Amino acid sequence: MTAMIEAHALVRSFGSTRAVDDLDLQVEAGEIFGLLGPNGAGKTTTIRILATLLAPSGGTARVCGFDVMTHPQEIRRRIGYVMQKISPTRNLLTGRQCIEMEASLYHVPRREVRARAEELLELVGLLPHADRQFNQYSGGMQKRLDLACGLLHRPQLLILDEPSLGLDVQSRHKVWDYIHDLRRQGVTILLATNYLDEADRLCDRLTIIDRGRVVVTGTPSDLKRAVGADVIQVTTAEPAPLAAAIAGQTWLQRHAVSEAGELHAHVTDAAAALPALMGIAAARSIPLETVTYTRPTLDDVFLLHTGRELREEEVTA
Amino acid sequence: MTEQAIARETPATRESTTAAISDWAQEVAALAKRWFIELGRERLNLVFSVAQPAIWLIFFGSGIGRAVDRQVIGTSDYTGFTLPGIVAFTVVGGGVAAAMPLMWDKEGGYLDKLMSMPISRSSIIVSRFVYQFVLASFQVAALVVVALLAGVSFELGPFAVVIILVTAGLLSLAVTASFSALAYWVPGHGTFFAITGFITLPLVFMSNAFVPVDALPRWMEIVARLNPLTYAIEAMRLPIIKGWDGDILVALGVLGAFSLACLAVGAQQFNRQTADRVQ
Repeated sequence: MTAMIEAHALVRSFGSTRAVDDLDLQVEAGEIFGLLGPNGAGKTTTIRILATLLAPSGGTARVCGFDVMTHPQEIRRRIGYVMQKISPTRNLLTGRQCIEMEASLYHVPRREVRARAEELLELVGLLPHADRQFNQYSGGMQKRLDLACGLLHRPQLLILDEPSLGLDVQSRHKVWDYIHDLRRQGVTILLATNYLDEADRLCDRLTIIDRGRVVVTGTPSDLKRAVGADVIQVTTAEPAPLAAAIAGQTWLQRHAVSEAGELHAHVTDAAAALPALMGIAAARSIPLETVTYTRPTLDDVFLLHTGRELREEEVTA
Repeated sequence: MTEQAIARETPATRESTTAAISDWAQEVAALAKRWFIELGRERLNLVFSVAQPAIWLIFFGSGIGRAVDRQVIGTSDYTGFTLPGIVAFTVVGGGVAAAMPLMWDKEGGYLDKLMSMPISRSSIIVSRFVYQFVLASFQVAALVVVALLAGVSFELGPFAVVIILVTAGLLSLAVTASFSALAYWVPGHGTFFAITGFITLPLVFMSNAFVPVDALPRWMEIVARLNPLTYAIEAMRLPIIKGWDGDILVALGVLGAFSLACLAVGAQQFNRQTADRVQ
């Protein structure tokens, strides 16, 4: 595989603060790569450097094989950039006028501008609303238009800064669907987010960053596995016999009965262990009241590596 | 590099230069289209923008004109004398308006999107200039109609109007570039309006817009002779009240040099502000 983004020892200072501090990043062609971190972690600054909007104070960054400092124009031809902010300054234009303008700015051949714009409006489901003004669009529609605009020149790399920020659940899922479709078409995607579920569901690999530094990099499942086991919690009138019955099973790491009389079974993989546990209970006619299980989340990953919770940061940032 | 390499490269270079010019034209056209679409959505803006200078001309020409000493201004037609002043005043005001959308794009974040695209750094400013020049042409047309109705006779006839348009274009380029540079340079729009509010009126009054340079107090005369507006007004005034004069070319030369300098400074400032900007 070839690297779409290679950043080494990247630094960006604003006055005395280092927004990006010795950051390394390697994104391979064809993957959805996530930058996960709390607000102020340096995600947007990193993205702005990679999108050639901000010069690094130190280190090097190559995007699509070109250095951001020496060949920004080559990079701009090859990347699509979807900003976090939705700018209201296009309010008086219709969706079609917005996207056709951007098509021309990306030098789509003049004769193809109209068709290309329609093709992408269709892709994001906005063709029926193409001739409505931008300020009549809902937040989700505006974001989808921006997403379509990022694809006009068929970029090799699409950079998305918080693509589902402020969207309702339905719009978020639509945006996620488009992102998955794009990856299937071979577009590499760099995605900055502070939503755990978004990072978990979309990303092939991700880097957690905090205070401008890389905390850890890996696939979501590897990162979570490193945190530890899944926990199955069972409430039953007869916890002790059940505990005795499951002891020694290969899928069980350890177990305990809590003071409240709940059985906590730490297992390697809850999805495989659950049917086994319930089968044993049924065979011995042990009635179960509730069975729940929790898996480690990326929040636990962040907690493990930084000693703080990601969610707390979101509130206080 | 070997000679063959050079020979092979030349046609390709020429081809890519043509492509670059074509790309640039496409960018300017696409951005200018945006400004005209927005103007079309705000037609009252167009009506007032075109009517306002004509009203100023009536106000100055028939009102203040009666209090003016003909000996001082060198003509009995104050409306014709002050028409170039009104054009200059209008174009300077238009320069402020030209820079405003660039500032809104900067503050709204859309400038970042534009900067992430493979476009030339000059096309945004030039698209604003194109828009502003078309608007100025309508304003000049309205002014000329009002002037004719008021009985102004243009010594150089229709050619005087051509010279007025050329001058308005050069001046428009200078102010659009300067105020765009200012819009990119300021931390926020408050500073922009404070500075433009502070300099636009003195810029007009410290020129020969309403009074000939020779008639100004000594210190104002010095300022006026350094003020590029004076040259723009001179280039427009001579064809109206005097006729053909070599000084027209001199004035246009000075103004043209100033406009190119403004464009260079504007583009340089633009580069600086966009290459390394803090969000």
